[in-house]
Amino acid sequence: MSDARPATNLVAVGQRDLSWKSPSTNIFTVFKHRFLVRNLVRREIRGRYRNAMLGYTWTVLEPMLLASVYYFLFVMLAGNPDELYPVWVLLGVIIWGCFGRSLSGSVSSLSRNAQTIHLVYFPRIIFPITTIFGNIVISMMSCLVVIPIMVYYDLPVTIHLLLIPLSVFFAGFLGIGLGMLVAPLNCMQRDVEHLFRFIVRAGFFLSPVMWTYEMALERGVFGEMVLLNPMVVPLTMARHGLAGESLGIPWVGVLGSLGFGIVMWVLGSYVFNRYEAGAVKHL
Amino acid sequence: MTENAVEIENVTLHFPKQRNALRMLINLFRKKKVRFTALRNVSLEVKKGEVIGIIGKNGSGKSTLLRIISGIYPADEGSCKAAGSISLLAGLGTGFSGHQTGRENAILYGSILGHNEQIMTEKLPEIIDFSELGSFIDEPVRTYSSGMKARLGLAVASAIHPDILLIDEVLGVGDPQFKEKSKTRILDLVKSTGTVVIVSHSFGLMSEICDRLVFIHKGEIISVGKPEEIIKLYYSTTGKD
Repeated sequence: MSDARPATNLVAVGQRDLSWKSPSTNIFTVFKHRFLVRNLVRREIRGRYRNAMLGYTWTVLEPMLLASVYYFLFVMLAGNPDELYPVWVLLGVIIWGCFGRSLSGSVSSLSRNAQTIHLVYFPRIIFPITTIFGNIVISMMSCLVVIPIMVYYDLPVTIHLLLIPLSVFFAGFLGIGLGMLVAPLNCMQRDVEHLFRFIVRAGFFLSPVMWTYEMALERGVFGEMVLLNPMVVPLTMARHGLAGESLGIPWVGVLGSLGFGIVMWVLGSYVFNRYEAGAVKHL
Repeated sequence: MTENAVEIENVTLHFPKQRNALRMLINLFRKKKVRFTALRNVSLEVKKGEVIGIIGKNGSGKSTLLRIISGIYPADEGSCKAAGSISLLAGLGTGFSGHQTGRENAILYGSILGHNEQIMTEKLPEIIDFSELGSFIDEPVRTYSSGMKARLGLAVASAIHPDILLIDEVLGVGDPQFKEKSKTRILDLVKSTGTVVIVSHSFGLMSEICDRLVFIHKGEIISVGKPEEIIKLYYSTTGKD
């Protein structure tokens, strides 16, 4: 079996790239390990709907049930919304769900995978990345719900529909940076995980999930302030995409949101790479 | 004069001890470090083509040393260098996901161990054949017995041929027949792989296959040498019982 192996030199094991370049080299790392990433994503997705008769139908059913509850709540509190309002809530729930699960998933990415971490070393950035990919795939499946909606409301098929998958990616991307920033901390104290579960729940109301960007604008100058919330962009993006409109958010807002995502990614993956090695000793 | 495959130099590794946040804060203020030193100033060189065994009592740092070599824990002090690909065989079948089939888990586990798609597709029939799971291979792993899981784990883990093989107590899984088979398989693997570091409590096997033994006690290397001498030293140091 043992074929002639090329002479290999001694190299230090488990070396981490701790330079400021690491956030960008991470992308190559993921590409290099794509077979592993694919298998881990598959495990993640299969795991969520295991032993369920309806299986993947839940990806659509869950946001629909949630949206219907919020719809009734809103009608009771605020009265007559516009005709498409239930659809906006549904899309909001899907996009917010993608962000929320990506955030809390990447926060607990190291602690959940303790078994694998103790078994073998591979770049650990793969764990949060896998979580994000899994969530994006599931949210994409949820987005299939727009097809019957478009038939029912007789909405036109436009190029703007592409904004919907784009917004799912965006939401996942916004979640991962912050998640990675605190994932090592979560290995030491699981309080972080619980805190972020609360943040996701509270953020639900502070973001345009049950309400829309346009509703906020009607409130005058305070309406503009919602753009400080990076999640406004993906949420509005999905809605306008379905309506066949362009984004309709000032460029400053879009750039701000994108910039926030990139800064969080750079910061998050740097901190993650720097501290994961010490943090896994707590697992 | 053969080259070294693994060079461990003055490696020290501490584990944090306190899990309570309040205590951690208090200790931070008192500048007191509460930690457990798992390895203290450990140095070891493994030559290419050498089979080396590590013995010691439970909790003496054997597994931790293997984890240092495989890169799972970076050393707090000192350095660890290795030449070529490393594969650690430990806790077979612990990482399986119960709701996926044996086949899917084999591929997943293989990819976790660092194999690419091509190798896994190539080796899969051999893996399934060796695991003796038969039609169970397409059933979810949660329906498996622990022996079946271990068999599948060993089948996947032993299908690869790294440059350096680290074995942590994986001998002796399954029923007697499979135990015999797995022993042969691992011995074949040991022979075909150049360099092997093995942790085990079965001294008979160790003295049979190892060129040298390392005795670790309380995180320190007490002695390195011929198997018989080291085993004798082990008993004289730790007592008969």
